[in-house]
Amino acid sequence: MILIDFEYYKPDTVQAAVELYQQLTIQAKQPLFYSGGTEIITLGRVGKLYTGAVIDIKGIPECNVLEIKNDQLIMGAGVSLTRLAEANLFPLLTESAGRIADHTSRGKITLGGNICGNFIYREAVLALLASDSIVTIASENGCRTVPIMEAFYERLQLAAGELLVQVATDATYLSLPHRGVKKTRMDRIGYPLVSMAALRINNRLQVAFSGVCAFPFRSLKLEHELNNDGSHETRIANALQHFPAPIVDDVEGTSAYRKFVLKNTLEDTLTHFEGV
Amino acid sequence: MVVAYSEFEAAQAANLVKIEYEPLSVINSLTDALRPNAPLIHDGLAFYSHVVEEIYPELGTNIAHRVKVRKGDMEQGWAKSEVVVEIQVSLPHSDHAAIETRSALVEIQQDGRVIVNSSSQGPFAVKKLMSTLFRLDMGKIIVKTGLVGGSFGAKTTAYPELLAYLASKAVGGRPVKITNAREEDLISSPGHIGMEATIKFGASKEGKIIAAEMLYLIDSGAYTDTSPTMAKAIAAACTGPYNIPYVTCDSLSVYTNRPYSTAFRGFGHGELTFAIERAVDKLAATFGVDPLELRVRNAIAPGDSSPTQEKLNVSSLGNVIECIQKIKTLIKWDNGRIIKSRKNLVRAKGLGCFWKTSSSPVNAISGAILMMNQDGTINLNCGVVELGQGTKTVLAQIAAEALQMEVDKIHVAMEVNTELCPEHWKTVASKSTYMAGSAILEAANELKREIKSIGAIVLRCPPEDLDVGDSRVYLRYDPSFYVEFKDIAHGYRYPNGNSIGGQIMGRGSYIMTRLSTLDQNTGYGKSGPGWVVGCQAVEVELDTRDYTYKIVRAATVLDVGKALNPKNVRCILRSGMAMGLSLASREALVFDNQGVVQNPQFRTYKMMRFGEQPEYLVELVETSQIDAPYGQRGVGEHGLIGMAAALANALSAATGVELNQLPLTPETIWKAVTGGSQ
Repeated sequence: MILIDFEYYKPDTVQAAVELYQQLTIQAKQPLFYSGGTEIITLGRVGKLYTGAVIDIKGIPECNVLEIKNDQLIMGAGVSLTRLAEANLFPLLTESAGRIADHTSRGKITLGGNICGNFIYREAVLALLASDSIVTIASENGCRTVPIMEAFYERLQLAAGELLVQVATDATYLSLPHRGVKKTRMDRIGYPLVSMAALRINNRLQVAFSGVCAFPFRSLKLEHELNNDGSHETRIANALQHFPAPIVDDVEGTSAYRKFVLKNTLEDTLTHFEGV
Repeated sequence: MVVAYSEFEAAQAANLVKIEYEPLSVINSLTDALRPNAPLIHDGLAFYSHVVEEIYPELGTNIAHRVKVRKGDMEQGWAKSEVVVEIQVSLPHSDHAAIETRSALVEIQQDGRVIVNSSSQGPFAVKKLMSTLFRLDMGKIIVKTGLVGGSFGAKTTAYPELLAYLASKAVGGRPVKITNAREEDLISSPGHIGMEATIKFGASKEGKIIAAEMLYLIDSGAYTDTSPTMAKAIAAACTGPYNIPYVTCDSLSVYTNRPYSTAFRGFGHGELTFAIERAVDKLAATFGVDPLELRVRNAIAPGDSSPTQEKLNVSSLGNVIECIQKIKTLIKWDNGRIIKSRKNLVRAKGLGCFWKTSSSPVNAISGAILMMNQDGTINLNCGVVELGQGTKTVLAQIAAEALQMEVDKIHVAMEVNTELCPEHWKTVASKSTYMAGSAILEAANELKREIKSIGAIVLRCPPEDLDVGDSRVYLRYDPSFYVEFKDIAHGYRYPNGNSIGGQIMGRGSYIMTRLSTLDQNTGYGKSGPGWVVGCQAVEVELDTRDYTYKIVRAATVLDVGKALNPKNVRCILRSGMAMGLSLASREALVFDNQGVVQNPQFRTYKMMRFGEQPEYLVELVETSQIDAPYGQRGVGEHGLIGMAAALANALSAATGVELNQLPLTPETIWKAVTGGSQ
């Protein structure tokens, strides 16, 4: 049971959604944009989330788009992970988003919701970071498009009232050699010790990580080390110097063990793309 | 407690309650609890009243109960031992994780009757406890239990019922319902014990175990619940199914500040089996003997005596060696115990032999009533709760067999209602078919006597000349003379209207026979009416580079006495294996240094999922237990008991490292192998 009472709105346009947000804010409703709702239920039932009004974005056509147009894959923020996986237009995204939560939840969880969520993993963003995707963000001043590598730092940097509408990925990235890896404590379903999305473009790896640090990231310095010449061992050791935050230590695994898993994952990844 | 009209309002009100806690020093482990100057969790523990008389708390300590087993002169035992091995094992607190969380709905009616709707394994125990605590006439407490959505021991503890009663009383008797959220079920309600054990075996050159010294420490949490009885159960079976002439065992129930614990499928036996079977494998490794062969050499047999000096015979024990021999074939033991299957991959097998008897009160009872409907079908009424184990089906089969009629004509009442049903102690200990089945056989006999006495009048012959079958009573030497049940079920009517008889009914009553309490100093005594023995095996494939592994297959051979419903027996055994493997491989409550549970939800408290199940193999051995209905033995818990041991033995074989801690996650193995450095 959700422990709070809140109002529900379902606007038809992006414009209406962002305006509604402003009005509800003036009314001190602390509104939230939402699409899948899994986090509202999860956090709401244990008293860790407050809102006086939710704005459902699933009625907005732009948020439900899933198509290739003008050599770009356009994905609405309100598209569910299951729909993404079934369409499988971007196999690396299918891999990195295909093991978030469980099958039942993935039917509800959306691309936008996962990227903007409160949990530290946000694994759907990994393939988007690795593929230099572009996000469309709406505010009351209209829409802007920004490379995700600029807009995403620890989390998608949205000002209050801004809404992630769509993500676009250049079609050339969709069929590149790639590798998605998720390592958990034990189970097929579970939070990652290490989740990684890697693709190879012009003989260079582009790699993003989740589960290792307290937020997902793609580090160009780290990538630079991985793409250097030298033995796998040296390159991995150097890459490990560039993790942007302490390695997570929690119920899923200690940081020492995560590091062990991470090294193996990197080793396997280099071997996968380059051979032993 | 907050009582409100709706869950939402209750939650709102509860949020307004401000609580100031004064933190006490936390006892977060058995080691902390047993330290000489440890803070006392219950300083008055010696003066507590307890449900079971034979509980021996130790004043000035955190020890709630100690069971001692002393068999033979240990000095002689060690003198005769040429090889000694010792191991220490530990396993964590975990949870039953039944799909349905605990729930109770209580209403106090104007006439003083208390109506309790409860999801419980022991509705009669709820009734008794409420009567004692609230000084209510037993007849005024009516506990109703429908189909229970899983329990595994969890719902043997009465407590939502007690809280709901107090809440109802506070609001003038209106119905009040308490249902746990998952987090409450995981943390506030009793879960699975933690345990640490030290096992020391002495053996002869020939690999016969001569002496065993054992210390079992149960981490029962902040309250005891049934943990003293679990300490007793562990003590009574402390050696595993091996004939060891010199035994000393201390089994302790210890208080800590962790969540309290209650019965869990296997009732301490999965835990003791993990300890014993790891020690047996270590002994085998020390000798360089095949672990299966070592088990055969030491298997307990008719004529031997149990740790509590119960003399065992074929009927009371069953056949351990046959179980081991059968598992050997089933798991293809001789095809290689450790095989390098591919680069970085090792396949390995491990065994877990076990035995179990029950630890009920010495006077636990059960009853059954059979009542005929007018059409000659029969209603079966007993106090066994159905929680997915299928006992009610087997009980219908027992009645049908005894009366030689179709099972579809026996209708079993699903709901238990303490006002209407004969009492059944509790639906626990894999003893419901045994106890209620015995009562049903007696009821069926009485029913047959009644049928024959009416039949004798109608068929004009002595009752001794009659037999019963196919819903009719017939002349034994000429079955063409018969009366159908439907014509006598509610009395027999002569053509002129004269009638005789009345509704045909049979009642049966059972009480545990010749059980005794265990002697305080030696453990001498008998805790259960028969043993169930079995042997299990697990095959794993381990990646020696990253210590991830796959459970390839799991096998059980159990001496079931007689499989009354073979499909159900196999199904229950598979479900036990699944639960045991999940527990052994990944389930654990994780605590911070203040004893706070860090993973109180299923998103972090993980269980094995359907897609992760290995292949399951089951074979049965049938050594009749003479005093049990049609020779059957209990099977409800047993699929689980040897799984942790077999998995740990398989993974220890695969890694070459002793793995003595559960759960066996890749990280646990990584730590054991590498010492935890990268």
